[in-house]
Amino acid sequence: MIVALAVAPVVLVTMLIGLRGVAAMRTTSDFLVASRRVSPLLNSAAVSGEYLSAASFLGVAGLVVKDGIGSLWYPVGFTAGYIAMLALVAAPMRRSGALTVPDFAEARLASAPLRKLAAVVVLVIGVLYLVPQFRTAGLVLSVVTETPYWVGVVLAGGVVSATLALGGMRAATYVQAFQFVLKLVLFIVPAMWLLIQAGPDVRTEATQPTEFTHFHEDTTVTFRVGATLDVPAGAELVDRDEGPRELESGAWEVPPGTTVTFADGTPVPEVRGEAVPGADGWERPLLDLDDEGYPLLGTWAVLIATMLGTMGLPHVIMRFHTSPDGRAARRTAAFTVALLSVFYLFPGIYGVLGRVLVPHLYLTGATDSAVVALPAQVDDGTAGTVFTGLLTAGAFAAFLATSLGLLLVVSGAISHDLVPGGLRQLRLAVVGAAAVIVLLALPAAGLDAGTLVTWGFTVASSTFCPLLVLGIWWRRLTAAGALAGVTAGLVSTIGAFLISVGGPDLHGWVAILVAQPAPWTVPLAFLTMIVVSRLGRPAPWATAAMLRLHLHEHRLSPFVSRDQGDGAARDLGHSSWPARRSSAVRRITRRLGR
Amino acid sequence: MTGRRVAVTSPQTRLAHARRRYRGPWRPATLDPAEMPRAIALHRAGRKRAVSALAALGVLIVGLPLSLSLSLWPGLDEVRVAGVPLSWAAIVVVPFPAMVAVAFWQLHRAEQAERAFDTDSLDNFDKTGSSDNGVGEDAS
Repeated sequence: MIVALAVAPVVLVTMLIGLRGVAAMRTTSDFLVASRRVSPLLNSAAVSGEYLSAASFLGVAGLVVKDGIGSLWYPVGFTAGYIAMLALVAAPMRRSGALTVPDFAEARLASAPLRKLAAVVVLVIGVLYLVPQFRTAGLVLSVVTETPYWVGVVLAGGVVSATLALGGMRAATYVQAFQFVLKLVLFIVPAMWLLIQAGPDVRTEATQPTEFTHFHEDTTVTFRVGATLDVPAGAELVDRDEGPRELESGAWEVPPGTTVTFADGTPVPEVRGEAVPGADGWERPLLDLDDEGYPLLGTWAVLIATMLGTMGLPHVIMRFHTSPDGRAARRTAAFTVALLSVFYLFPGIYGVLGRVLVPHLYLTGATDSAVVALPAQVDDGTAGTVFTGLLTAGAFAAFLATSLGLLLVVSGAISHDLVPGGLRQLRLAVVGAAAVIVLLALPAAGLDAGTLVTWGFTVASSTFCPLLVLGIWWRRLTAAGALAGVTAGLVSTIGAFLISVGGPDLHGWVAILVAQPAPWTVPLAFLTMIVVSRLGRPAPWATAAMLRLHLHEHRLSPFVSRDQGDGAARDLGHSSWPARRSSAVRRITRRLGR
Repeated sequence: MTGRRVAVTSPQTRLAHARRRYRGPWRPATLDPAEMPRAIALHRAGRKRAVSALAALGVLIVGLPLSLSLSLWPGLDEVRVAGVPLSWAAIVVVPFPAMVAVAFWQLHRAEQAERAFDTDSLDNFDKTGSSDNGVGEDAS
């Protein structure tokens, strides 16, 4: 009940703030980029609020429980992406004046097919990213209250699409900025409380990892999704009616929906293909993907994917377009690095405590829910319930904020780039896209949220990252080169994804490069773009199209004589360009300026 | 009152309307030839600064995992601060402050570059500003 009381305010405030944004919305620009009047601090809070998804709020701590301390490299990559964004993309991207990434591609390279392809990439990334958000919303709500999985999914879909269809980007901005503050508070305060409340024994145990081999108390485990366990000899279940019962040793196919209670002191079954929490290598501060024995390669692969992927995430780039000018966009990126750095100091605390207190979550593969499961383990009274409620509210804020941004770019891609239409169609696209994502998320309860989100990052890093970096900094890029490079990146990442899901069993470094292909797909996309562009010739206006992105808006006009003093400096960003005037007028102006 | 409406425009507007215009959402990018040198200089300056910021970031991203995996400091796992092994603390306490520092350093330099082109080099800029074809020139 108290949990419902915690989630309801988040949902209600989201809707209320959304309604506030309804006023004065008339054009596509109002809807997609909040009329470009968002200050850097508000915008960076909104960027951070949008970026801290379920994968950050719950996923990182869950990965630490499952895979070890090395998982703390994910947040490093997530944050590093904004430095690359700041240095390479933020200001020029904003100065391009485009509304979406496909818009930018068309403005820079004048290719309608490229625009359509970019819109398709946005859809791919959006689906890979949105399905896990909705799925985790359903899962968390079903863990803390006893509602069925679909309730959370449908609730999340309904709230997000209603807020967005009514209020557009302006609503999303205020909602996301508010939810960043909410998430920060609801993450840090419970972390401190947990650390204090856990007591010295748990704290010492947390820093001395030992393998999870025996249950330390009667442990109830609910398998929402089926699993295959290797049961060791001597494992016992406790039946409420019949008392202890010994499990058969060997493989045990657990059907979905089973709830069992393992007896205190019995050995822990192992999950096929997963390392046990606290096993050898858990304490190593590197990321050994799938335990293939190449921790350094695994760490770098994840860092490359997350860092370069951040630079190409369409919903993050869209947020930069809401800044009034390039300078504000750059400041937004810098502030975001600071805000994210504060948040990411804390997932490790939940992770190491989770390994001690809720290691059994690894049996069901639901380590994502470690964060919300922790308070109940530390305090089974009112305080524990209150903190569970607070963390659930924070997690819900995380899904809502991220889904808002993603749904906005997905509907923008459909209704602004693929089938251009007006504001009415945009609103319809929001509702339609939300419905499709809810339908996709309903059967996805068993998917690993972290994996899908990481694939979203990988697709972004090998398609949009090269397109933006070369488009902004290399004048010889041609439309054909961009098309070829984006296609190469998209096809190679999707190919690797299909192989890793349904292909043959791979081992060693090959397995890492298939499971996390960014180290070769990103260079492949860059190389394809460069080679194909070199084969063709850039259009005559290409140099102007690129250089234009680097001129700041509030520069002094070269046509104003310095004798007139500073007051005569004109704001070129908002006046009609001298170059757009007829050649006769231009010639005369230039003569006067000399 | 005949109800007939006549468009009243200046000769300049009539001239502008008479020219061929690009239809559709796209039109070729225009850059005032007089601003070309400044754009080129800003592009170069921005590239130089971006490369050095990314190099600093690269040192962190490549170097920290490498030094942890080679155990350049062998005692890192045993040394504990308030019970926490230093090697765990190293991937939280080192990268985030470092990244904040790099971000604000880069922000400061990028804004400084733009300011510099508005004040200091305006003289310099005026001299090359009149040439229409500034692509190959070095404006700084």
